[in-house]
Amino acid sequence: MLRFIGTRMAQLAVVVLVVSLLFYWMLNLLPGNPCVAAFGGAATPEQIAECEQDRNLGDPVIVQWAKWGGDVLTGDFGKSYLTGRTFGEAITNALPRTLLLLAYSQFLALAAAIPLGLWSGYRQGSAGDKVITGGAFALLSAPVFVVGLVLILVFAVKLDWFDLGGYQPISEGLAAHFKVMFLPAVALAAGLLPIYLRLLRTDVIGTLQEDFVGTARAKGLPVRMVLLRHVLRPSSFTLLTIFGIQAAQAVNGAIVVEFLFDLDGVGSLLVSWVAAREFLLVQTLVALISAVFVTVTTVVDLVYSALDPRVRRR
Amino acid sequence: MTAAVTTVTRASRRAAASGRPRRSVALYVSLGWLFLVLASAVLAPWLGFLDDPHRPLAGQPEEGPSWSHWFGTDQLGRDMFARSVWGSRLSLSIAGPAVGIGVVVGGVLGVVAGYFGKWIDLAVSSVVNVALALPALVFALFIVTMLGQSFWNVTIAVTILTIPAIARIARAQALRFAAREFVTVASVMGARWPRLLFREVLPNVVPALASIAFLAMGIVIIAEGSLSFIGVSVGSPSITWGNILAAGRGRLEESPHIALTTGGVMFATLMALNFVGDELLRRLDVRETRI
Repeated sequence: MLRFIGTRMAQLAVVVLVVSLLFYWMLNLLPGNPCVAAFGGAATPEQIAECEQDRNLGDPVIVQWAKWGGDVLTGDFGKSYLTGRTFGEAITNALPRTLLLLAYSQFLALAAAIPLGLWSGYRQGSAGDKVITGGAFALLSAPVFVVGLVLILVFAVKLDWFDLGGYQPISEGLAAHFKVMFLPAVALAAGLLPIYLRLLRTDVIGTLQEDFVGTARAKGLPVRMVLLRHVLRPSSFTLLTIFGIQAAQAVNGAIVVEFLFDLDGVGSLLVSWVAAREFLLVQTLVALISAVFVTVTTVVDLVYSALDPRVRRR
Repeated sequence: MTAAVTTVTRASRRAAASGRPRRSVALYVSLGWLFLVLASAVLAPWLGFLDDPHRPLAGQPEEGPSWSHWFGTDQLGRDMFARSVWGSRLSLSIAGPAVGIGVVVGGVLGVVAGYFGKWIDLAVSSVVNVALALPALVFALFIVTMLGQSFWNVTIAVTILTIPAIARIARAQALRFAAREFVTVASVMGARWPRLLFREVLPNVVPALASIAFLAMGIVIIAEGSLSFIGVSVGSPSITWGNILAAGRGRLEESPHIALTTGGVMFATLMALNFVGDELLRRLDVRETRI
């Protein structure tokens, strides 16, 4: 097991390094001086010289990349030359919002997908199953911004149950917090729900054919207990794997949802930096996001193999 | 037999008996809708009854849907139906080449990896797995801003997104067919690898790729829609579905029809694409369908 973890960690490190080097190299292919761009075209020669010194622009790309990587690893994430705001300040403000949004949406998606998936798998072919699978299919086809717009229109504009005026931290009161966060979380969960549901349903249909399900029923266990105790358990592996894969995809949704609901999270930060041509910050943020995601996928893989030893032998 | 299992078998038999004709109807409706959307997108400049999408005061500003303006008008009085059709024109002309290139490049990579195996497979699979593990929109965003917000740059960005997903499915299909008897027989009869690959394996992978193309089309339309929704696709005054919706977002209170009509058309189109793709996969009995 230790050896397996070691190999996976080594692979992980290589992937992160390669991705960040690739990005750095791509940025260097851009025409023009990144330091001129960083000041939005209105810089004194001294400022540009200082920035060039800062970014080691005189060195070959690979040396620049190594120095930048060293800075990032020692906690120096750079700053905006335009506003003077550091990367750390911006991210400490934005990160909790995005993490909460992702956590709420994953919770909502799983909380809805598990009972619905179990039930529609158990009652495969019934009217209820058809409604559920049809609904899941429709949700799967709906882009997150269309779902979000409909949610805003119905629940915030027409019914006025929720607020739209930007993020409210938990310290402002739970009610205020959830009035702002609930709709974005639902919009994001709407994309995840059908993926979890369909997988679980397929799994359940397979598991129901197993002998141990028959035994459990023959013992006289109620259907609810059989589904939760015996049928859901083997499917938890599948759910875990897809959870890891979907974590990365959820960030795509988060960028759009944060934009739609004015949440100013990490996604909005990325979009605004991209728009302001803050390439140095964008590069650091993209490298960090990729690092986080490759780590999440690897950790999921490791948990998976700890739970199911058969995986390790592949 | 337990109650659970009997329910399942009886239910699936019922589904098999009754499902076929209704599914066919849905398939033809989907294909019909896709044809309608495609035809109106292609023919938009020559459709006489279609307003000029850029002309202000084609009607009263911010009017709801009516007989003369099917999708209503926006705050400048521009005809939303015309804008929606012209938006589909741009969205589809990005999605078309993107999926075409994606299927060819991804298909070749996947088939080669699946057929030859060994280090080629290892190289392709590891790149594909890394690419699939990264948040795609971040990359598309990055590429488009780096290269500039033009039609071809957006197309390049979304094409790159489709390649790994398609390659993965093509690889799985190639693996499946490379192990089949008819390939072994051909090989025993003295066929070399080009014949095995192009005459035995590839023809069996193509139908799967064709159905995947429908699903990939949906993904590309959503990706381009997301980019233009956050303002990072082809710049104004170009009309895309995404930027119509972004504009509609600001007017939800006064004129919800702006977002709802175009959103509805987009949703219906995506649903039709997914349905046709799923149905083809089902009829061709393709496994490993997740994209």
